[in-house]
Amino acid sequence: MSTRVLAKRRLVTLTLLRRESIGGLYHVLTFEDPDGSVALPGQFTMVRGAEWGDAPLLPRPMSYLSGGNTPSILIKVIGEGTVRMGRAEPGEPFTLLGPLGQPWRAPQPGRRVVLVAGGVGVAPLLFLARRLAQSGAPKPIAVYGGRSARDLPLDDELAELAELHTATEDGSRGTRGRVTDVLGELLAADQDVFTCGPDRMMAKVAELCAARDVPCEASLETPMACGYGVCLGCPVPTTDGAYVYACTQGPCIDARRVDWSRGDHAPKKGVHAPKGKS
Amino acid sequence: MSLLAVDVGGLTLKNPVLTASGCFGYGLEYDDFYDVAELGGICSKGLSLHPRAGNPPERICETPAGMLNAIGLANVGVEAFCKDKLPILRERGVTVVANIFASSVADFVAITERLNRETGVAAIELNVSCPNVTEGGIEFGKDARMAGEVTRAVRAATELPVWVKMSPEAGNIVAVARACEEAGADAITAINTIRGMSIDVEQSKLRLANRMGGFSGPALRPIALRIVWEIAAAVSIPVIAIGGISTTRDALEFLLAGARAVQVGTANFVDPSAAKRVLDGLREYCESKRIDVKSLIGSAR
Ligand SMILES: Cc1cc2nc3c(=O)[nH]c(=O)nc-3n(C[C@H](O)[C@H](O)[C@H](O)COP(=O)(O)OP(=O)(O)OC[C@H]3O[C@@H](n4cnc5c(N)ncnc54)[C@H](O)[C@@H]3O)c2cc1C
Ligand SMILES: Cc1cc2nc3c(=O)[nH]c(=O)nc-3n(C[C@H](O)[C@H](O)[C@H](O)COP(=O)(O)O)c2cc1C
Ligand code: FES
Repeated sequence: MSTRVLAKRRLVTLTLLRRESIGGLYHVLTFEDPDGSVALPGQFTMVRGAEWGDAPLLPRPMSYLSGGNTPSILIKVIGEGTVRMGRAEPGEPFTLLGPLGQPWRAPQPGRRVVLVAGGVGVAPLLFLARRLAQSGAPKPIAVYGGRSARDLPLDDELAELAELHTATEDGSRGTRGRVTDVLGELLAADQDVFTCGPDRMMAKVAELCAARDVPCEASLETPMACGYGVCLGCPVPTTDGAYVYACTQGPCIDARRVDWSRGDHAPKKGVHAPKGKS
Repeated sequence: MSLLAVDVGGLTLKNPVLTASGCFGYGLEYDDFYDVAELGGICSKGLSLHPRAGNPPERICETPAGMLNAIGLANVGVEAFCKDKLPILRERGVTVVANIFASSVADFVAITERLNRETGVAAIELNVSCPNVTEGGIEFGKDARMAGEVTRAVRAATELPVWVKMSPEAGNIVAVARACEEAGADAITAINTIRGMSIDVEQSKLRLANRMGGFSGPALRPIALRIVWEIAAAVSIPVIAIGGISTTRDALEFLLAGARAVQVGTANFVDPSAAKRVLDGLREYCESKRIDVKSLIGSAR
C-alpha cells in the first residue's frame, strides 16, 4: 500500500467564529484559521477549549466537516466536553491539533460511491461529498440513518450533494428501520462504500459489503488520549489477531481488516473481560 | 556555563526537563512540533525483552483532571528499539533514557546487556512499578529487598547510570528508595501511576477492559510532590520528579521541593509541545531572575 504524504500537524489556538445549533443536540462549530487547515476528508482534529483548565483534561477527537480558513466540526452533545462545545459562544478560543490520521482513500475508478452514515458520522462523509462535487465526480449515493428525524443533522446539504436515502428507527423520516436495511436493498457489485457511524452499524455495513465483494472503507471510533500515536490508547483489533492504532493507522481503514466482533469482547454487564496477557 | 544544566548522578543534562515514559512514544513522533534534542532528555516507552501487543481495548478513560491507562506495556521490544529507533535519536543528538521492565531479575539484566551494546543510551530507567500487568513488576517496586536486588543486578551489569522509578504503591516508599540507593542506583525517579478504577454507571460497565489502570495527570501532582519531598529528604542521590507536570510553575514546584529534574507525562497528550513549553518557561524564569536552576533545587525546604 502506498503511504500518502500528509500535511504537517499543528496545534493552533483558534477563535470560534460561529456555532449553529441543530435541534440542540447537534451543533456545527466553525473556527477562524488565518493560516488555513489543509485537512482532507476523513481526517480528524483533537479539540479542546483553551480555557478549560485541568478538566475536562483531554482534547476530544472530532472529524473535520470542512478545512480551509474556516475549519468546522459537527458535534453531538453526549458528555462533559461536548456539553461545553455545545454552549460555546463566538469569540471563545479553542485549541485544535490536526490534521490527524489517515483520510478516506480515493474512490476506485469506475465504481459508484456510496456514503453510509449514522448520526454525527455524517461529518467526514459530507466533507467527502463536497470534495467529490467540487471535482466533478458523479453524484454519489448516500444512505443516512438515525433514531429519529432529529438525528439526521445536515441532511439537507447531503441531499444536494448526493442521491439521498434516509432511514429512521421510529419512521419519522424515510424508511422505518436501519441504514443497513436500506443499504441491503441498493448495494450493487460496482459500488464503492464509505461508512462512518456507530460501531454496530459499521460492522453490519462491512458484512454486507464483504458478502457482495464490494470495497468498503470505514472510519474507526475509539477513545483517544493523544490522537497522534504516542499513548497507545486507541487499539482496534484486526482480523489477523493484531491491533491497529486508530489515530495513526486510521481512522479511515479498509473495513475488511477490522475485527468487527470486538464489541463482543467488551466487558459485559457485571462480567469482566479476560485479563490482558501477551 | 548554562543556567539550566543539572547533574543527575554521573550524567549532566543540558536542562532539567525530560519527558516521561509511555507519554512520548519513542521520541520520533514530534517532527511536526519541535526538535526533541532541545530537551534535557526523553524516556522511551517501557522496553521489554520481547515485543508486546498490550491489553485489549478499552485501554484508557478520563477521570477528573486526570486519566486511567491500562496500555499493558505494549512496546516494540528492546531489539527493535535498538535497530529502528535509537539510531535516529542518536543521529539527532537526543539524550535518550531507556525505560525498561521485566518480570524477572534475569530479564532486566538481559535487556540491560542488549542496551550496553549500543551507543546513544544516556541512562537506564528501571520501571519496577508498572501497575498494569501482574507480571510487569509491581512486586519489585513494592518491596525494598526486591527493588534493591534488581537494582544491584542491573548496576553490576552496566556502566550506564541507573535510575529506579518508584511505585507510589510501595508501603514504605522511602525504604524502597533507600534500598535502591544502597544497591547502587544513580538516581531515583518518582512517581509512576497509582492504580485506579472507573465505572460507567449508565451501562453498569467497567471503563477499562483490564478493570484497573494507572492514574496520571494534574490530579496526581500533590501526591507526587509529597513523595518527592519525602524521598529527597531520605536519599543523597538525585531525585527526578514525575506526576501531573504540565506547566513551568508545576516544574518549579518540584524543583523547589528538592527534585533535580522533572519529567512531563500526560501533559503531552493535551499539547505535544508541553515539555518544550515547560522548558522555555523555565529558561525565561532563570534568565529574567539571573539565577542558576541549581540554586532553586530544594530551596523551599
Ligand atoms: C476519529 C474520531 C472522530 C470523531 N468525530 C466526531 C464528530 O465528528 N462528531 C462527534 O460528535 N463526535 C465525534 N467523535 C466522538 C467524540 O470524540 C466523542 O463523542 C467525544 O469525545 C465525547 O466527549 P464528551 O466529553 O462529550 O463525553 P464524555 O463521555 O464526558 O467523555 C469522556 C471521555 O471519553 C472519551 N469518549 C467518550 N465517548 C467517546 C467516543 N464515542 N469516541 C471517542 N472518545 C470518546 C472522550 O474523548 C473523553 O476523553 C469522534 C471520535 C473519533 C475517535
Ligand atoms: C498512557 C501512559 C503510558 C505509560 N507507560 C509507562 C511505561 O511504559 N513505563 C513507565 O515507567 N511509566 C509509564 N507511564 C507512567 C508515566 O511515565 C508517569 O510516571 C505517570 O504518568 C505520572 O506522570 P504524569 O502525571 O505527568 O503523566 C505511563 C503513563 C501513561 C499515562
Ligand atoms: S490516541 Fe494516543 S496513540 Fe492513538
